Amino acid sequence: MQSMRNSWKVAKWEIKRNLKNKTFLIGLFSSPVIIIGFMLISSLFGDSDSEEASSTRVLINDQLNIYENLENTVAERELDWEMELTDLTDSEIKDELENTEDTAYLIIDNNVIDEGVVSVYTSEEIDSFFINQVQLLKAPLQSLQMEQLGLSKEQLEVISRGIVFSEQSLDTGSASQEAEVANGDSDINSMERIVPGAFAGFIMLSIVFTGMAIFQSASQEKKDKIAEIILSSLTPADLMQGKIIGYFVLGIIQSIISIILVLPFLSWRFDLPIIEYLFVPELILLIGIAVLGFLLFAAIFVGIGATMEDISTAGNFQGMVMMLPFLPFIFIGPVFSDPNGLMAQIGTYIPFTSPGVLLLRLSILEEWPWIEIIISLAILVVSVWLFMKLAGKIFKVGILMYGKNATPSEIWKWIRA
Amino acid sequence: METMLSVKNLGKTFKGKKVLENISFDVQKGEIMAVLGPNGAGKSTTIRNIMGIMYPDEGSISFRNYQEIPRNMIGYLPEERGLYKNVKVMDILLYLAELKDYPLKDAKERALTYLKKFNLEGKENVSIEELSKGMGQKVQFIASIIHEPELLILDEPFSGLDPVSQELFKDEIRNLADQGTAILLSSHQMNLVEEMADRLFMMHQGQKVIYGTMDEVKTEYANFKCTIKGKNDITILESLPEVQRVEQRENSSTLYLTKDVKPTTWLKHLPDQIMIQELIFDRITLHEIFIDIASGKKLIEEAGAVNA
Repeated sequence: MQSMRNSWKVAKWEIKRNLKNKTFLIGLFSSPVIIIGFMLISSLFGDSDSEEASSTRVLINDQLNIYENLENTVAERELDWEMELTDLTDSEIKDELENTEDTAYLIIDNNVIDEGVVSVYTSEEIDSFFINQVQLLKAPLQSLQMEQLGLSKEQLEVISRGIVFSEQSLDTGSASQEAEVANGDSDINSMERIVPGAFAGFIMLSIVFTGMAIFQSASQEKKDKIAEIILSSLTPADLMQGKIIGYFVLGIIQSIISIILVLPFLSWRFDLPIIEYLFVPELILLIGIAVLGFLLFAAIFVGIGATMEDISTAGNFQGMVMMLPFLPFIFIGPVFSDPNGLMAQIGTYIPFTSPGVLLLRLSILEEWPWIEIIISLAILVVSVWLFMKLAGKIFKVGILMYGKNATPSEIWKWIRA
Repeated sequence: METMLSVKNLGKTFKGKKVLENISFDVQKGEIMAVLGPNGAGKSTTIRNIMGIMYPDEGSISFRNYQEIPRNMIGYLPEERGLYKNVKVMDILLYLAELKDYPLKDAKERALTYLKKFNLEGKENVSIEELSKGMGQKVQFIASIIHEPELLILDEPFSGLDPVSQELFKDEIRNLADQGTAILLSSHQMNLVEEMADRLFMMHQGQKVIYGTMDEVKTEYANFKCTIKGKNDITILESLPEVQRVEQRENSSTLYLTKDVKPTTWLKHLPDQIMIQELIFDRITLHEIFIDIASGKKLIEEAGAVNA
């Protein structure tokens, strides 16, 4: 009880001290602003491109006389589309699309009424958000569907199935078209997965970066020679826990401020229902993984921080440990190319890469590998516990060693003690 | 007198080397107890063991009747000390008081009172890094007493202070003791300790050398000595009565006299042929005892006596 109270006092102090610190405050607001800045710049380039050539050209084979409705919807939502009516058939469209860029072809025929499926053919180069934008046509098509149908039970069922935009690759002929109906909504799902995953990843990154401040804070304690004064009032474990809790809260503050600034911008820029995608039950697990990742790196940083006074004097050993949080970047390529592949699985089970790799995989994968998730969570929890213990031992001795850095062999001795 | 702190048979070994051996002493309410010794004698190690920052291999430490030392009743000024650089004076003082569970309002009041006492009035909102080193030390001292500790432990409180600040610290420490605080301080500045300590514990190489009240120590160890300036033959000086040993340096000779010497009688025995340009008759100071011990002179003599 007393120990928890002491830790909380330290945490409060660290939070207050940082929030009063100009450098921290500048960082707090500048990082989300920089993110927005980058997105704005890239979108500026994107816009200048599209002014010349690349509004998305959308050809519609309208067999249901709904073109005008669709045009209105597109105008309402200010989509950057050039719409055209066409009567090209499936086979003719192939040649047409092969020679163009940023062009899509929608077939609105009886299939829409009966099956709720709109076939979408796109050129190889297409605005990456096209498939999400096209979802906006759901509303007019659905009302058409209802108009056309009576309201019998079976028909209502059909309606509740909704409208699906089935993306067709150029190579597949019309024969396989029907086969794709079933998993036609995968792209909506992928966005639904990516948004919470990216969010949790972002939270983890910002907490890890704040976690690096723990390192700074622990080594500062040595540099300023205040550790012994503080330790006359509480135990090293209280102090360490307090720092971890304090910087965790600071990380949360950083995340919240970033979200408040970045999220509205994202919603405005990409016209996606991000909030809806974000607050799903899966988010809890993703954030849980992010928090475990934070705790793991916090333990490592606070331990290493206690072994040296200045990052510039870090030896090879400390330097290498400091790089651990960046290890997941090695796995980004392999995981993207094969989210269930060997590399992805290895990354899932290594504690240092597990949070990053897991978040990445869960964002890409449609079907979550629950067994792997549970095993890697278990590994993570055990590692967090273990590294907290080790950090505690290193911290206890290291924090009082003024004036010189600890060598790996000394650290090893403290751990064994 | 109430015993506040009791250290019994403390022992500590580093890498197979005994750094503390059989260290025992008490600190009583309202007294100033000084731990003296040269660098590396084990003073800070002893204090760190008392503070629970290190753990002794042998022996026990008890505070009044507590087994576990209640940290909020103890004030501590470590030898290696500093404060967070980029925070305000008042903020750090209040934080340290909070860690000791001392009420915030009282802490603020005491902080202001002491800042004024130490000529730091108006500095409460100044960042620590803007203070001079001496000012910083004053703030550290205030931090160690802000929560009205019953036992105050000061490790080398005077190191790095100018004479004016030394006086200020000395007065305040005396003041605290008079109010009933038990004070344990370590130092290697004998003159300061000699003026203020009630009792002392002198240690060398991790072992007790002298322990007792200042008066006891003085009568026990601070014999008379006579320093004569002028060129004199050492054999004549050595043949004088009550002379334990003679140290000669150029034209100056110091005669160390036995404990029971009567100054007037002894002076009358000085032979006429001795050349006296200057004569100083006084007691051996704590400083000299300390130097003696630190340089190992007496210890070597004793060892020699044992071996012989």
